[in-house]
Amino acid sequence: MTQGHLGRRELTLGAAALSVGALAAPPVVGQSRPFAGQTLNGAAFQSTFFEYVRAYFPEFEEMTGAKLNFNTQAFPVYNQRTDLELSTRGSSLDVINVTFIYSGRWIGAGWLTNLSDFVRDPNRTDPAWDAADFVSGAQSAMQDAQGNTFAFAWEAGAMLMAASRADLMDRANIRMPTTFDELLAACDAIQGRENVSAFVADQLHHWNWIPYLMGMGGKVFRDPPGNLMPALATPEAIRAAQWYAELLSRFGPSGVLSFSDDQAMRTQIAGRANFRTQAITWLVPLAKHADSTVKETVRYALMPAGPQGNFPGSNSHGLGIPIGSRRKELAWEFIKWALSKPMLNRIVSERGYPSVCRRSVITGDAFKSALTLNGQDVASLYLQVLELGGRSGYMKYRTVPVFPQVGDTINRGIARIATRQQDAQASMRQSQQDAIQVLQRAGVALDAE
Amino acid sequence: MRNSRAASGAAQALAAPAGAMGAGRGATRARNRFYALCVMPSLVVLAVITLVPAIYLFITSFTPLDLTRPDTAWNFSRPFVNYREMPADSRLINSLWVQARLSFWTVLLQLLIGVGFALLLNTRSRFIEALRTVFLIPMVLPPIVVAIIWKVLYTPDISPLHLGTSMLGFVVPSLITHPDWALTAIIIADTWQWFPFTMLMTLAALQMMPQEMVDAAKVDGASAWQMIWHVTLPFLKGVLLVAGLFRLIDSIKAFPLIFILTEGGPGSVTEVTNYYSFLQAFNFSFLGYSSAITVVLLAVTVVMSWGIVRLVGWGQHGE
Amino acid sequence: MASSAMVRERRFVQVVAIVLALLVMAPFLWLLQMSFKTNAQVFAFPPALIFTPTLENYQALWTSDFRRSFVNSLVVAASATVAPMLLGVPAAYALSRWQARIAGTFSLWILASRMAPPIAFTIPYFLAYRHLELLDTRAGLVIIYMTFNLSLVIWMMRPFFDQLPRALEEAAWIDGASTEQGFWRIVLPLSTPGLAATAILCFLFAWNDFFFALILTRTEAMTAPVAVVNFMNYEGWEWGRIAAGGTMVMLPVLFFSLLVRRYLVAGLTGGAVKG
Repeated sequence: MTQGHLGRRELTLGAAALSVGALAAPPVVGQSRPFAGQTLNGAAFQSTFFEYVRAYFPEFEEMTGAKLNFNTQAFPVYNQRTDLELSTRGSSLDVINVTFIYSGRWIGAGWLTNLSDFVRDPNRTDPAWDAADFVSGAQSAMQDAQGNTFAFAWEAGAMLMAASRADLMDRANIRMPTTFDELLAACDAIQGRENVSAFVADQLHHWNWIPYLMGMGGKVFRDPPGNLMPALATPEAIRAAQWYAELLSRFGPSGVLSFSDDQAMRTQIAGRANFRTQAITWLVPLAKHADSTVKETVRYALMPAGPQGNFPGSNSHGLGIPIGSRRKELAWEFIKWALSKPMLNRIVSERGYPSVCRRSVITGDAFKSALTLNGQDVASLYLQVLELGGRSGYMKYRTVPVFPQVGDTINRGIARIATRQQDAQASMRQSQQDAIQVLQRAGVALDAE
Repeated sequence: MRNSRAASGAAQALAAPAGAMGAGRGATRARNRFYALCVMPSLVVLAVITLVPAIYLFITSFTPLDLTRPDTAWNFSRPFVNYREMPADSRLINSLWVQARLSFWTVLLQLLIGVGFALLLNTRSRFIEALRTVFLIPMVLPPIVVAIIWKVLYTPDISPLHLGTSMLGFVVPSLITHPDWALTAIIIADTWQWFPFTMLMTLAALQMMPQEMVDAAKVDGASAWQMIWHVTLPFLKGVLLVAGLFRLIDSIKAFPLIFILTEGGPGSVTEVTNYYSFLQAFNFSFLGYSSAITVVLLAVTVVMSWGIVRLVGWGQHGE
Repeated sequence: MASSAMVRERRFVQVVAIVLALLVMAPFLWLLQMSFKTNAQVFAFPPALIFTPTLENYQALWTSDFRRSFVNSLVVAASATVAPMLLGVPAAYALSRWQARIAGTFSLWILASRMAPPIAFTIPYFLAYRHLELLDTRAGLVIIYMTFNLSLVIWMMRPFFDQLPRALEEAAWIDGASTEQGFWRIVLPLSTPGLAATAILCFLFAWNDFFFALILTRTEAMTAPVAVVNFMNYEGWEWGRIAAGGTMVMLPVLFFSLLVRRYLVAGLTGGAVKG
C-alpha cells in the first residue's frame, strides 16, 4: 500500500466522522494525517501567545495533515467581528478566542460548542490531557451555570505594575509605589525627565480603570450577576474617575487616549513611558521582546492598593469552538494541542510566556525561571494576583452578558473627563444614564434606583 | 443578452407579416415588447435589491431585534418602543448635533473653496487645464485611503504638521484626541477630499456662462471683483444650491474618516448619527434600534433627494 | 499697457495655482513617499525628504494575505461592472427610445438609493445573508454593489443614447433589421465612449467601497480597503507598510478616474447632474 492510498482512506474516515458527528468513531491522531486536506480557520486577537504558538503551527499541520489558517486582529476589532460572526451561527470559523468580556454573552446566547462532551469522551480526549489542571479561577468565566465548559483558558491575565525606567526612579529616589497616593507622587517626580511620560495606558478604560474604582470603594454593578443596576454615579465612582482621568491627562503621552494595547506597549518598550498597570502579558515583553530597549531597567511589582484594598484585574481568555463550525473534531484537536502540558511548558521555557492557566505549569520550575525577569520573581507576583481574584470574586462584573455595552459607556465617560468636556460628576452621571438605557434596551430588568 | 435574443425572435416573427418596411403596427408592438424586455430585468433586480431591503429595514425597526436574544426576532409586541426611545437617548441627540455641525461646516467650506478655485482656474490655458486634473485627485481617491492619509497627518510621531510646528517652537497637541479640535480635524480632511466636487460643478457652469454677460459687464467698466460679485455669483446660484445639496446629503454618509481617525471620540465629540447607528447595530447587536435610527436617516435622505430632483428637473425627457 | 497687465495677471494666477496645487497634493504625496521608507526612516526626526527608497514594504505586502484581498477587489469590482452593464445598458436604451413617462417617477427612487447611507442596506443584507450563506462571499458583495451600480449605468447611458438620433436606427429598421439588431449593430458601436466611461465608473465605485465590505466579509472575500485597515490595527504601527497598502489600493483607480474626469460629476450624482 502506498502512502497516498492510506491517506485517502483516512480522509474518507475523517469525512465520515465529521458528517455523522459523534456517532462515528472519531479519527485518532495516532494515525498519520487523519485530517489531510482540510483547513482549520481560526481567529483571535493579537497577543504574544498566538505569536509564539504560530511558530509551531507546522508541527500541527504535519501531525494532522490539515492546514491552519489563523487570523489575528486588534482586540476591539476582533471582538466586534467575532461577535457579528457568531451571531450568524455560521461556519466560517472553527476555533476562536473566547474573550473574557464576551464569554457571558456568547455562552448565554448559545453560540459556542459545549466542550464538556468532548472532554468526557475518552475516544476524543486522552485523560492524560488533564482538563482539571486548568486553574478554576480562569475557567469559571468559560462555564455556564450548570458547569458545562465552553472554552479552555490560554491566558489568565493578572494585572501587575511595570516600570520601564527604574534608572530614573533610582535617581529620583523613588521606590515602586504600593498605594495610589504613592503612585501619584512617583509620577509627579518622574514626569518629563529625559522626555519620559510617567504613565501610559491603553484606551480600554473599562478594564484599566476598574481596579482604581474598586480600590476607592466603588463598583461597576450593584451585585452582579443578579443585580445589574450600574453604580457608576456613586461618590466613590466619581472620585475614582476624576483621579484616573487626571492621571492620564497629566502624566500620559500625547494622544494617549487613542492608544491601543499594542501602542501603549511599544511606548513603554521604547522607554518613552514609565508606569503601566496592565495584564502581565503586556508587561513581560518589556524584559523579553526583541525590540525592547528597557530590558535592563524594567521593574515589576503588584498593583498599588487603594484605601479600600487591592483589586488587581484578572481575566481569562479561552479557546472555543463556534456552534456552527463544520470541523469541530479538528478544532478540538487544535485546542488540545495548543493547550497541552508539553506545549505550554515549551512556550514558557522557550519564549517566557507568562499567562498560562495550567496549575502544573505555573507551579513548575520552568515557569519560575522563565518569569524571573531582570532578577525579580514575577512568577510569585502572578500567583498572588490569581489568588486574590479568586478569593472574593470581584471580577464577576466582567462576565455579565451585557458588559460590552456598559463597558463602552465607561470608556466614553472617562474619555470625556480626561479631555475636560465635562467634570467627573456630570460625566459619570451621564455614563450611568447611558448604561441604564443600554441595559434596558438589552432587556435586562433593573430595580429602581 | 438572452432576453434580447428571445425578444428578437419574437420581434422578427411578428415583424415579418407586416412586410419588409417594418413600419406597421405589428412592428411597433414588437418594438415596444423589445423595450419592455430590455427594461424588465433591470427593474426587477433593482426592486429586489433596493426596495425589498428597505421594507425589511422598516419592518425590523418595529422589533427590538438583538441577535443574542432569539426571542426578539419578529417580536411586534411593542412596535414603537424603538421610536419612543429615540428622543430620550441623549447620545442620539448629541449625534444629531454633531452631524449638523459637521454638515454645516463641510458644505460651507467646500462651497467656498470649490468656487474660489473654480474662479481662479477658469482660464483657457493648457497649463491650467492640466493643473485642474491635479486638483481632482483628492476626490477620486478611495475614501479609506483619504482616511489613512489624514491618520498619518494627525499622528504626532510621524506627521509633518506636528514635526513642522515643533521645529518652529510650539507644540501642537494631538488633534484627534482633543475634544475641541477633533471635529475640526475631520472637517478639514473631509473638505480636502470633496472640494473638487463643487469646483468641478462650478467650472462646468462657468464655462456655460454666456459671453454676452461678461462682455456687457466689461463694457460697463466693471472691475474683476465687481464682475465676480454682481455677475458671476448670481449666475452660479443655481449650481451652488444643487452642489450644496448634494454635499449635504453625502455628509450624512461620513464614515471612513470617523472610523479611522476618531471612532466617534474623544467621548462622543465626533460621533455622528450614521456612526452611532453603526455602533448600535454591529458592535452591540441592537439591530432593531439601529434600524429605527437608520429609517429616520433614510427619510431625511429621501426628502433631500426629492428636493434635488425638483431643483434639477431631473427625469424629464430632454433635460 | 492693458496686455502687459493681463500678462502679469495671468502669471500671477499661474503661480497661485501651482502653489495651491502643491498644497492640495501634499497630503497625498506624503503618504506616497512614506511607502518607500523603512520604519526607522519613518520615525526619524527631522524627516528626511531625500532618502534611498526601498521596495520592502511592497514586497512584504505582496507575499502576505494582502495579495488575496487585492485579487478579491479585482474580481468583485470587475463583476460589479459587467453585471450592471449587461442589465443596465439595454434598459437605458429602452428608456431612451421608449418615450416612457415612467422615467420621471424613477428619478427619486434611483437618486435616493444612491444617496442613502450604506447602513440602510447593510442591516437588511446582513440579516438576509446570514440565512442565504452569502456572508463573506464575493457574490454577496457583487449583489449589494448592484444597488448603486445598476442605477448608475442606466442613468449614465440614457443621455448617451438620447444624443444618438433615432434616424440612424430607423434607417436600419426600414432596411428590415429588427429592433434588436439595430441596437446591437448601430447604436452600441456608436456609444463606445459612453460605455467605456460608465464601465470605468462602475469599477471605481465598486473598488472604493469600504462599508459594505467591512460588514459583509470576514476572511475569504475581504477586499483590499478592508485588508489595509485590518492590518493597520495591529501591525505594530508599521507605517511604511500601511502607506504601501494605501498606495496599492489607490493606484489602480487613480489613473482610471482621471481618464473619465469628464463624467465624474455625473457619476457621483447618479446622473442627476451633468457637470
